[in-house]
Amino acid sequence: MGMILYHGEPNGPSLAVLAALAESGVEADCRPIDLLAGERHTLPGVTEPLARDMGIEGEGPVLVVEGEAMTESVFIAQFLDESGANTLQPKDAYAHWQMLMWCRRITERCAPAAAFLGCQATAQPRLAAMNQAAFGAVLNTIASEDLRVRWVAVAAGDFPEDQARDCIAKVTDAVALVETQLADGRDWLMGELTIADFETYGWLAGTVTLVPDAWTGKGRAAAWLARVRARPSVQSALARATLPNPESQWAPGPEINRWG
Amino acid sequence: MAAVTLYHWEPNANSGKPMLALMEKGVPFDSHYIDMLNFDQHKPEYLAINPQGTIPAMTHGDLVLVESTAIMEYVNDAFDGPNLMPGTARDLWRIRWWMKFMDQWLAPSFSMFGWKYFVGPNALKAHGQDKIEAQIAQIPLPERQLAWRKAVFGLFSEAEMAESGRRIGVGIQMLEAELAKREWLASDQYSLADVNGFNLAYAMPLSQPHLANDDLTPNIMRWLRAIYRRPATRECWKLGRTPMASRVEILEQDYIPPRAESEGIESGVR
Repeated sequence: MGMILYHGEPNGPSLAVLAALAESGVEADCRPIDLLAGERHTLPGVTEPLARDMGIEGEGPVLVVEGEAMTESVFIAQFLDESGANTLQPKDAYAHWQMLMWCRRITERCAPAAAFLGCQATAQPRLAAMNQAAFGAVLNTIASEDLRVRWVAVAAGDFPEDQARDCIAKVTDAVALVETQLADGRDWLMGELTIADFETYGWLAGTVTLVPDAWTGKGRAAAWLARVRARPSVQSALARATLPNPESQWAPGPEINRWG
Repeated sequence: MAAVTLYHWEPNANSGKPMLALMEKGVPFDSHYIDMLNFDQHKPEYLAINPQGTIPAMTHGDLVLVESTAIMEYVNDAFDGPNLMPGTARDLWRIRWWMKFMDQWLAPSFSMFGWKYFVGPNALKAHGQDKIEAQIAQIPLPERQLAWRKAVFGLFSEAEMAESGRRIGVGIQMLEAELAKREWLASDQYSLADVNGFNLAYAMPLSQPHLANDDLTPNIMRWLRAIYRRPATRECWKLGRTPMASRVEILEQDYIPPRAESEGIESGVR
């Protein structure tokens, strides 16, 4: 069963999945794609595109197995772990629930905020510089209407101030959560190294420059970030970067919760 | 075995998910009904269990668990009984993918209709404006305060409702297409994705009769009836105390024709 992992620059969900892949020992053909050129929406050999088209995560990595596009970084990481070394998820049912709850906290609250701020900083200028026809051609390949809306907002520089403030608060909360979680001196978020470390690292690594105040006085969180970064699996993921500063590369992410 | 207590509202949406999962699994539990419209979920005795004031919550011995889908996965992991996450690693991925899609994209759109037309007006009628203001002020999570305010005082914008309506239409088409491929939603075996999906979709033939019916979505109707026939489903829906739960009886009809959208809003009470 050949697998192809199409990934963006090693940041956010692409970083998390690349690291989980390396930890799992599973063999996959890793192919970098330019997310901001819309390449994710025109992948060859996809016969079951639903998860790529309608995923919650936005421009995350896509693992193609027998033509089926698999998305959502936490679930791809679980799939790789369960297909391989099986070391990245707690075996105890309650500890597993805790890991899932942690990952949901990150993907539902922190990820949309980090993607919003990251896109504002680096994706907006690039999309705004595209000519109208080229941008229109990319939009035409995006199946999901609400993901298309997020692309248009980024290109237009539509980043309302109250939302930006809320996003900064959410990132700040996430860093504080990490700091608190490590208070008992543990090395990894769940005690043992799990998918939660890679998912959290992926979304937070770039916020050191985006929201520097969030990291002020967060020594344990900063040390954890360095620890995750030093993992050979993360180093191998970072080595796949095609641009300098991969943690500054962002693409439209999950939407901000419509209920507030 | 440590005792299990489930704090839940009606067998519907988030409360119904762990209720049905426990019953499918054959795990005995102490059912603790929380009357959401009476704001039981924000009373001190419940906040002592779940400080966030969200429903459902489950205790297993000394452990406290929240978030319906995560509780279901815990139930499947922690207890003997039929495996509700069956199949290959890829099937598990698909079960998780569908649950997240429903939980975060489709269900919030359904619940916007449910809260606008049912939860908000009924809570307002039962309590009156002044008392309800005080109740809302006591809700621990700010986003839940906002949700209640919007529902009770009819503050959902036209654009928000239109977007939710669009998503419901898209989501129903996605479910129909997926259920045309295989017997169950995410794999060839009954799974938590079906438990989750049934709680989201069982009343669609009533609330969205123009979109979900035997003419337009035969595979959804086949799937809903198959789940309704399961003994665990029958037992689960008996725990309902309001007319909301009895909506499930629509699935006893052999043929449900398309009807106008307006009839759905009047009878749908999602």
